[in-house]
Amino acid sequence: MNAVASLLEYPSSYIEKLGNIHRILPWIMAFVVLLPLPHILETTLNEYYVYLANRICIFIMLCVGLNIVKGFCGQVTVGHVGLYAIGAVTSALISLHLGWSFWISLPLGVFAAGLAGVIVGLPSVRLEGAYLALATLGLGESVRIMIAVTPFFGSSTGLISIPSPAIGGFVFDTYRSYYYLVMTAALIGIYLSFSILRSATGRAFMAVREDTIAAAVHGINVTKYKLLAFVISALYAGAAGGLFAHMPPGYIHHNNFTIIEMVTLLLMVVLGGIGHIWGGVIGAIIVTIIYDQTLEFYFYQPLLFGLSMVLIVLFMPRGIGGMIDRYLVTKRFMAIQEGKSNGAS
Amino acid sequence: MSKLNKTGTVLGLAAVMGVTLSTFALAADIRIGITMRMISENGQKYGQMVMDEFDMINKAGGINGNMIKATLMNDECKSDKGVANAVKLVAQEKVHLLIGSSCSSVTLPIVDVTSKAGVPQLVPHSTNDKITKKGSAWVFRVPVSGRYYAGVNAKYVGENIGKKIAYLCAADAASQNDCEAMQAQMKAQHGVEPAYTAQVQEKEVDFRTHMQKIKNANVDGIMIAALAETMARALIQSYEAGIPASVRRIGSSSASNSPVPKIAGDAAKGVFFAAAYAAADTRPIARMFNEIVKSRYGINSPDHDFSQAYDLVRIAEIALGNADLKLDSASLAADRTAIRDAIAGVKGYQGLASGPISFCAEATPQCRDGNRTAVLIAYSKGGENYKTEVLARVTMPIDFGL
Repeated sequence: MNAVASLLEYPSSYIEKLGNIHRILPWIMAFVVLLPLPHILETTLNEYYVYLANRICIFIMLCVGLNIVKGFCGQVTVGHVGLYAIGAVTSALISLHLGWSFWISLPLGVFAAGLAGVIVGLPSVRLEGAYLALATLGLGESVRIMIAVTPFFGSSTGLISIPSPAIGGFVFDTYRSYYYLVMTAALIGIYLSFSILRSATGRAFMAVREDTIAAAVHGINVTKYKLLAFVISALYAGAAGGLFAHMPPGYIHHNNFTIIEMVTLLLMVVLGGIGHIWGGVIGAIIVTIIYDQTLEFYFYQPLLFGLSMVLIVLFMPRGIGGMIDRYLVTKRFMAIQEGKSNGAS
Repeated sequence: MSKLNKTGTVLGLAAVMGVTLSTFALAADIRIGITMRMISENGQKYGQMVMDEFDMINKAGGINGNMIKATLMNDECKSDKGVANAVKLVAQEKVHLLIGSSCSSVTLPIVDVTSKAGVPQLVPHSTNDKITKKGSAWVFRVPVSGRYYAGVNAKYVGENIGKKIAYLCAADAASQNDCEAMQAQMKAQHGVEPAYTAQVQEKEVDFRTHMQKIKNANVDGIMIAALAETMARALIQSYEAGIPASVRRIGSSSASNSPVPKIAGDAAKGVFFAAAYAAADTRPIARMFNEIVKSRYGINSPDHDFSQAYDLVRIAEIALGNADLKLDSASLAADRTAIRDAIAGVKGYQGLASGPISFCAEATPQCRDGNRTAVLIAYSKGGENYKTEVLARVTMPIDFGL
């Protein structure tokens, strides 16, 4: 742990310095660092890993969004994948039937998911815990079933030949070019998530999470913030869905939005650490890679993932993000103690 | 120092030899990637059959002295997993030929992956007619297309059963396609609309409400288009609802799968469907095949997904044998093209399918839906030791349903 910490010390202090100049600078730095990744992956490994990187970026968006409602605001939701589906189907349908550009269809998909987020969030006003989980699960699954039985939404065949995004003559129709799109979206998503967390809204979310009655007593409109968390989270899911739909080969099917996908998302968030933005990112990366590396053992994969979830909840309830937090807090505490003892001497 | 030098030399030589040997081994392998639905007992057996058949080819000396290196992956009948598998097989395993998938909803996006990468694709089980209508120059379908099945079913139903038909259509791609195509054919051939139609979930368990309505509609037949287990449940419940045996039960192509008669038991008796292969086939090749499947996988009457997997391997064997392959690291694209052209050159293959399978070079459904012969099969007995009988064999016109 110490070796890793010392290895990370220089870049983290450098990032901190950049952040002190302007808070957006570390993100621009991250963008620049991540730019050559597809080239590196293609030359050292192969194109498949670029595809995997794209999937990871989409999962990161989903996890970061899920973390807002679950981690920041403490609301149980199992319907996130339904919102992801709404974003995907709306954006795909607009592109396919109206022939509108991705740059219009994606925001409309995000908007549709946001509206659906209000509906998914409404039960949270009256319900909590397992009851809220059941209500959101029902809504999420209803979306999938609706897609499955409605020919206009793709029904059983799915939506085929969804056009790739384009800027002028440049078409994002390869995994490599698409990476720049999803990577940028993921970085913006993480940045906005940090901004929300640091804002008054983020603090209100956390107050609602800790104690709704205490939050209400302190003048926080609990209903408003609960709904807002669901809507923001839905916007993330809608964006991820839209990006997934237009990613080559441009095909979506209701089977992409089942409860299994939802459980995988939850595993990512729980493993990464509920309430930690970087936790969702770490979870998305680790779970996607483990899933890929265990593809050959497909009989045992559900067992592996199920068991991992149980073990994480039992022995690492705060996930990897929690562990990092604990390490940082300990380090800070040690530094304070050291400072005190130096001052005393 | 000299000891270190020696060790270094030995290690260096070993590394060079290793690289040379691995390059040589790679050059001699024909790499085939397979992605199939491996989530059911039968699904696993279909995949296993393909692997076993390639293994047999290797044991017999390979193809023109080249061994086949097959990689089998599970796509769980999910399009995103199927696409991931296809990209992995194409970009990482650098396969010369891709086989997949069992589900139409997975095959459809994979066609785009293979088309873009220039990898020949053999479709083992998917029947959705959109697969070959995409116009990819790299895709070849071994099973009978859904457009042919519908024509055969509609002709037989209209002429022998009646025209008042109820439809129960499950939400999976193949069943939807079968159901819609059958309704369209009933209208085109006999000018009739459905007497009753309902869409049900892919894994629906309760059909009682629909069955009561169908009973009251006084129909001549019920078409149940669903995957095997779902269809079996619907058949049982049709009798529980009191619909008499005189109302004929028409299955979609998946009625051929063994879980239907096994689960449905007596309710399977009389159910008829169009498929690519009948276990009741009396040809010597069919008898031999039935014995192979029974001894290897413990299945008495293999369904057409087994026969199609077997036929696909034979077609691949013929094409790979005819293709001029170099199989070195620089010839991957040329080898893939050679295999594609060799598959397009397969004409009049006579295997387990009820008619000949032929492909040609144009990227059209006429050229790439190689199998045009459907066989009409009825279950004469349900249960574990189910029996089938052949009602008719029909080879459809090449342009039918386009």
